[in-house]
Amino acid sequence: MSTIKTPQHPFVQGMITAFPLLLGFVPVAFMLGAEAAQKDFSSVLIMFLTMVNFAGGSEFAAIELWTSPPSVLFIIFVTFMVNSRHIIMGATLAPHIKHLPKRKILTTLFFMADEVWALAIQDISKQHKLTPSKKGFRFDFYLGVALSLYVTWSTFAGLGAYYGGMLGDLHQYGLHMAFPALFIVILVSMWNGKHNALPWAVSAAVAMLAYQYLPGGWYVILGALSGMLVAYFQGESDA
Amino acid sequence: MLDYPTLLTILGMGMVTYFTRVFGFLLLRNKTLNDKQTRMMSIAPGCVFIAIIAPEFLTGTLGDILALCVTFIAALRLGMLGTIVIGITSAYGFNWLLS
Repeated sequence: MSTIKTPQHPFVQGMITAFPLLLGFVPVAFMLGAEAAQKDFSSVLIMFLTMVNFAGGSEFAAIELWTSPPSVLFIIFVTFMVNSRHIIMGATLAPHIKHLPKRKILTTLFFMADEVWALAIQDISKQHKLTPSKKGFRFDFYLGVALSLYVTWSTFAGLGAYYGGMLGDLHQYGLHMAFPALFIVILVSMWNGKHNALPWAVSAAVAMLAYQYLPGGWYVILGALSGMLVAYFQGESDA
Repeated sequence: MLDYPTLLTILGMGMVTYFTRVFGFLLLRNKTLNDKQTRMMSIAPGCVFIAIIAPEFLTGTLGDILALCVTFIAALRLGMLGTIVIGITSAYGFNWLLS
């Protein structure tokens, strides 16, 4: 991972770091808007939804399941299922942000979408390597990442609802690979040999199995938890 | 146009999503973790990433799977922007070749 060593403000650094991700966000948000328009969403309404919720996977699920009128509790439940992985993500962030004032903690957690969290975790470990004595979490950097993705997501969802199906199937452009690519970059930077190997392998296997046989977002939860469990007991035998 | 069930659904979605984001933090806020627990939590992010992308190998087209492999190799050498660009172009290329 190349480090940015210019004297830019952390907020600007966050925006720059988030920039490659916009390649993925713009078309996917546009598509979300286009699909929402099929369900009679106006631009303003889908923008409102994305600004209140800001969790892409659950928004696609909700639009997919949207009827007129919507089945309120069902969609809320599916949203919870798809987003329950955030519980683990919030737990991993907790030790790095708990010293902050409450308003900053609540703001941080509001914007904790997958990609924002991913870049934050990466920045924390990078900062920690630079100055081990200091807390690695940088609130301004985080806001720079979060706000650029938030504004982009919402804006392009609104445009997508207005201009509708101009884009066609995303898969033909390969743009769906933007997010897996991000995750792979971060995984490679996290790799430290034998300590990762077994938990990661177990996570992958369990996630695939759960994806095949269980509904909703269970595969992320079970996959992540099983790998964590392996790490827990693996630690015992090393120590 | 903005009917009551629609408004309720959207606000409910926002509330449960925010709940999922705050809840994990609240669970660990006042805990001091021992070594084993620390090791478990530090490996958690990687496990989440793995769990998110692993099913891609089941659902993706052959082109997608090849692209994932190329992306992985790119990630060993390049930074984020480079890897994402390679990921997108290789997915486009492989899917185009194989379609």
